[in-house]
Amino acid sequence: MTARNQGFNKPLPAITEENKPFWDYTKQHELRVQKCLGCGKLFYPPSGMCPHCYHMESEWVKLSGRGKVYSYVIVRRSNNPAFANDVPYVVSIIETDEGIRYYSNVIDCKPEDVSIDMPVEVVFEDVTEEITLPKFRPVT
Amino acid sequence: MDLRDFSDKAAIVGVGYTEKQGTVPGVNSMSFAQEAAKAAIEDAGLTKDDIDGLLIQPTLGQQSYTVAAKLGLDDLKLLANEDVMGATAPCITAHAMFAVVTGQANYVLCLYGTSDRSGRFGLMGGGPRGPGPAYGLFGANMEYGLAARRAMHEYGTGPDTWAEVAMAQRKWANLNPRATFYDKPMSKEDYLAEPWVAEPFRRADCCLVSDGGRAYIVTTAERARDLKQPPVYIAGVGQSHHTPDVEQSTHMTGPTGAKASGEMALRMADITLADIDGCEIYDCFTYTVEVTLQSYGFFQKGEGKDFFKNGRTGPGGEFPVNTSGGLLSEVYYMGFTPLTEGVMQLRGQCDKRQLENVHHILASGNGGILQTHGTVILRR
Repeated sequence: MTARNQGFNKPLPAITEENKPFWDYTKQHELRVQKCLGCGKLFYPPSGMCPHCYHMESEWVKLSGRGKVYSYVIVRRSNNPAFANDVPYVVSIIETDEGIRYYSNVIDCKPEDVSIDMPVEVVFEDVTEEITLPKFRPVT
Repeated sequence: MDLRDFSDKAAIVGVGYTEKQGTVPGVNSMSFAQEAAKAAIEDAGLTKDDIDGLLIQPTLGQQSYTVAAKLGLDDLKLLANEDVMGATAPCITAHAMFAVVTGQANYVLCLYGTSDRSGRFGLMGGGPRGPGPAYGLFGANMEYGLAARRAMHEYGTGPDTWAEVAMAQRKWANLNPRATFYDKPMSKEDYLAEPWVAEPFRRADCCLVSDGGRAYIVTTAERARDLKQPPVYIAGVGQSHHTPDVEQSTHMTGPTGAKASGEMALRMADITLADIDGCEIYDCFTYTVEVTLQSYGFFQKGEGKDFFKNGRTGPGGEFPVNTSGGLLSEVYYMGFTPLTEGVMQLRGQCDKRQLENVHHILASGNGGILQTHGTVILRR
């Protein structure tokens, strides 16, 4: 995928103790979330405690990378200079086949062609040395 | 004890406006709060020495005691900054009600001031930055837009529905000299010509950002009857908070917290939805009005696309909503805008926009991205 290690000027997520594994896995081009070792449920965003059963131990399990568009907006103008060349772009909530919701962009298609429930799959964009962003494109 | 025991035991007795509101450069939020507090105390026919409780929506960026000191209130029995964002006004109204009815305090001043328009806009935030901004996701316009787009998919509502909401409120604003858009009518063509903010939202779907302040005073029903203004009783209160953000939300198309908080408030007031004569709904976006009224049960899922047609919620319509112009067309003081307008309607002091034969007003507050909700039912 595109490597843009130089000059990436968009606001990057803060790496915290809780979410570091998530970003370590995306760097390896894997989408993983936590599975509670108490109740067995998947959860996201990353947390030190399962929000369902309060169990403190979890493992990071790999997702299929497939899902669908749960909802989206089309951004046609941006006050943020870092996104000036990106408009129009699509910000979406993706629901993975496993039921995990994740903010992302739908790329590789015209904004007008995006629709709710559209099947998508993950692609990984290595934007800096530390951060690889999971994005989604239509399943063809 | 039951919540119902508190119905009509407390009242709102003073409302304070700032003389200027909307775009007012060069005045800080504390000055607006001071002016609104003074106006509310005068409106109620009280003096500052009567005030023994102060609840503040913490938009002033100051400690509660600092705000109190600047108001010369140095013998308080109740004092707090309380924040559930847009739901704060209804929630502090409930807190004030419990305090006066149980004797903790006699007169509780509820206070809001902001210079968000001309000063620094610092409403949201806190905590480490999540991944959203890396994808170009910034702020409530886009986050509510995500919820609204989902509702278009599920219910067939959308810009045609939201145009009706926006135009009806603009018509109310055109009757309210305080309103930011008092002099600016809006047709369907005007609505459609507004620029996209985050499609499906146009600018006219989004609330104002304003300077100014607003305040009101809560006391017991008994004390209220001896004061200057007709008392407006707190008949019912309710809260319900579904806290996940929109990324994780399972309630973005309703029912939001309006459902459970509305049921709680109606039960306390011992009335049904059919008894509500007008609604002052927290309208950070046009879509918020749709999903909130749906969640309260005024219409069912799927009926939203027809509910607002033909000016139903505007002046002369059968279901008046946001009679000051609301957050979309009057001024953005979060939950203080709808709540104070409800009080003024029941006092019968709304001039050209005054509703007739009005006995119950439902006022709502909604915070975050449909993450907090409070309801107050006012009765005269």
